[in-house]
Amino acid sequence: MTRNIKRFVALVGIMFALCLSGSAILQPTVAMQPQQADARAVVQKVCGTACHALERATVTPRSRAQWEDVMSKMISMGAKATDEEYATVLNYLAANYGRDASAAQANRPAGKSVGVLGAGANDKHIVDNAAADRGRAVWAAQCINCHGTTARGGDKGSNLVRSDMMWSDRYGSDLGPFLQKGHPTQSGTPSSSLSKTQIEELSHFIHQRLYDTLRGSPIFNVQNVLTGNAKEGEAYFNGEGKCATCHSITGDLAGFGKTNPVNIQQRFMFPRARTKKLTITVTPANGPAITGTPVHIDDFDVSLRDDKGEYHSWKRTAALKVVTNDPLKAHIELLDKITDKTMHDIVAYLESLK
Amino acid sequence: MKIIRTLLFLALWSIGAGPLFAQGSLDPAKVGQAPTDGWTNYHGDYSGRRYSTLKQINANNINSLSLAWVFRANVNQGAIKATPLVVNGVMYFTVPDHVWAIDARTGREIWHHVWPSQGGIHIGNRGVGILGDTLYVETADCNLVALNLKDGKEKWRKTICDLDQFFFGSTSPIIVKNHVITGISGDDLDRAGYIQSHDPVTGKIQWRWYVVPQKMGDPGSETWPNEDAMKHGGGMTWQPITYDPELNLIYVPTGNPQPVIAHKNRAGANLYTESIVALNPDTGKMVWYFQASPHDTHDWDATQVPVLFDGEVNGQKRKLLAQASRNGFFFVLDRATGKNILTTEFVKTNWSKGIDAKGQPIPNPAKEPQVDGALVTPNQYGATNWPPPSFSPDTGLFYVNAFRAFSIYYIYDPDLENPQGWGGTDRGGWQEAMMQAIDYKTGKIRWSHKWEGGGSRSGVLTTAGNLVFTGDGTNNFVALDARTGDALWHANLGAGVANGPITYELNGNQYVVVGAGDTLYGFVMLAKEPSRQLSQRSR
Repeated sequence: MTRNIKRFVALVGIMFALCLSGSAILQPTVAMQPQQADARAVVQKVCGTACHALERATVTPRSRAQWEDVMSKMISMGAKATDEEYATVLNYLAANYGRDASAAQANRPAGKSVGVLGAGANDKHIVDNAAADRGRAVWAAQCINCHGTTARGGDKGSNLVRSDMMWSDRYGSDLGPFLQKGHPTQSGTPSSSLSKTQIEELSHFIHQRLYDTLRGSPIFNVQNVLTGNAKEGEAYFNGEGKCATCHSITGDLAGFGKTNPVNIQQRFMFPRARTKKLTITVTPANGPAITGTPVHIDDFDVSLRDDKGEYHSWKRTAALKVVTNDPLKAHIELLDKITDKTMHDIVAYLESLK
Repeated sequence: MKIIRTLLFLALWSIGAGPLFAQGSLDPAKVGQAPTDGWTNYHGDYSGRRYSTLKQINANNINSLSLAWVFRANVNQGAIKATPLVVNGVMYFTVPDHVWAIDARTGREIWHHVWPSQGGIHIGNRGVGILGDTLYVETADCNLVALNLKDGKEKWRKTICDLDQFFFGSTSPIIVKNHVITGISGDDLDRAGYIQSHDPVTGKIQWRWYVVPQKMGDPGSETWPNEDAMKHGGGMTWQPITYDPELNLIYVPTGNPQPVIAHKNRAGANLYTESIVALNPDTGKMVWYFQASPHDTHDWDATQVPVLFDGEVNGQKRKLLAQASRNGFFFVLDRATGKNILTTEFVKTNWSKGIDAKGQPIPNPAKEPQVDGALVTPNQYGATNWPPPSFSPDTGLFYVNAFRAFSIYYIYDPDLENPQGWGGTDRGGWQEAMMQAIDYKTGKIRWSHKWEGGGSRSGVLTTAGNLVFTGDGTNNFVALDARTGDALWHANLGAGVANGPITYELNGNQYVVVGAGDTLYGFVMLAKEPSRQLSQRSR
């Protein structure tokens, strides 16, 4: 944890000339994906020694254009970067702290209940997103250095996601009296001087952070699944995997790489029959075999619709032969054989088919 | 002091068991007894076997089973997951916020209690506990409520959990002597689970046992990195307990640790989550534990029923406990000591590196959830889940509705080092379903009945009639031959069997009752001379 904090303490500094606080407690808002490690190093080089919290810089998500404005300002104030470094830093900020990339901003439903299953009391705090955005400013000015971007705390401040007080709070009902009593703020402003409106907005902001840890949270999404080796994936595709027996990269898989990588992974591992459908062949003791799409099958009955659209139904007996023809058999058999490495390699290879 | 209080209590009850009791009340001595003329506890008896000695309905005559009645809940609270209780010819069951008493012969309503809810997850309710003239039920909004058995009027209510911490109530209270034992539900937040005991008359808490240790230095704390992780370490008590009156032990199966999927800030085995724990019901003190999933990262709550039966192991009579766990492993333990006797897979899994000296599976770190995904079997629903299994002493087989299922587990929380709550989940999947009949002596699958139309979330009932009752994946209520697994009988109920079926005998007729969707169906084996009374009267 401490090491993690140190890793991020030195990130963005000079970009913001006014150093309000030199000892911010920092946590990554967004975890570093492998390819971002290089970008991080560049940010470090360009921004030099930290004099400003990354959180302070990034507490408000900005569009790419807005980040460009900020960076121009920083350069004008003395930050030095090559064109290439400038682009890397801009890409990094836009990707990790961009308004568009911020699912928390973009996808959060307004005034809705929380959690996927409707947990909590009927009168639980419902977040007003606009008020939470205003509360974000109070948070950045007074709280963030100790309690962190995501309110999960750090060496100097407690984890509010695990705070009983905040979970019982409604629109500042518990937070207000607590701050009235006096609580350290990073600006030195007495906490008792916060207005009722500010406290309510702060409560909205904190509850947004709390609810972000629930099932179905807008900040919880699949991250980077492109970690495999495309070349090895290709070798498996054409060799051991025998994928080329049924598939062709210039045929059914042409352009498949344009699919979202997570969907590539899911469709490769758990395909649903799209072109070739599952069929069953039923052979009565004294009749011809009939093949068709199954309508119903259980221990007692079986029915299907044949290719002319006719419905057929039988009571199952020992004499009635039922055979399932599953075009996805090879994929199912793969589940017991494939390693995670090969799975990632295949995804990397399929993603390259653009 | 406690002993005196207990004796006093029992003395008062035994006086009460005489004429002082109302006509419909339940004699405390019958709570949890082997079911014949009723079903007095979630599992029928305390053992969790869900086995009935009744055999009027049997493998030879099952095709003559008739539908006697239908009762539709029709309150828009989902499927009936409760196992009904039957006391003196009256059946008591629940869906969230609703309790009914209906006539067990006719399915006609006697009373209906509606609870005005203050919130909580309404995912299901497992049913009621009954003692004397009182019925006990948990509500989704964190109350234990005592109702008059005869009319459903409220006697008292006690808060058992904090709604603001997203706990809720769903399990069935279990009555053990003068204890009403309640578990809690809710793993949305990183909170500590517990189980507690209440006085049946006043509702006052007698003891509470936390699933995770409450301070460093306490037993089990060595399996957590720090106190904060431990005190927020989860371990819900989702399912009803079982009980051995001779050993005076209750068996508590515990849920997953938290944060459940993204797990980096809770290194260690995370005791006593994912465990079977034996507690003294009078004190709430732990006697032994066995951990089914050390450091679980797949949401495989080990809350499947700890089924109690006596058997023979290597020629010796033993008091046994068996669990078919959600993680795909079948455990047989000595229920006096918790010592492992046997561990096998009841479906093939891919997440463990083997079995340790204590008989516990060793998790393979490569199969923990990963940012780029890990292919894991079983999936999050598990190799089995909450629907109760059954054990038949006639066949020596343990019957469980099982799944062989794959999915990919991802870590979502961008804060990899300090995840909170539900920072990941699994996606996608392929599965097949089957009823597994497991020989407890060897752990081998004696027979496997594949559900061709897919699996169900149905409980299991076995009877001395050589029958296994359950649901399949296509809305059929099914009877299988207990020895062979052959499908003998079915009825398409139009919705999936969602609870554990029960059986009882009233006026010489054996009934089988099952819930499918929001409806209870009462089946009966009719007497050989139908409607004699009626025809005599009309003559």
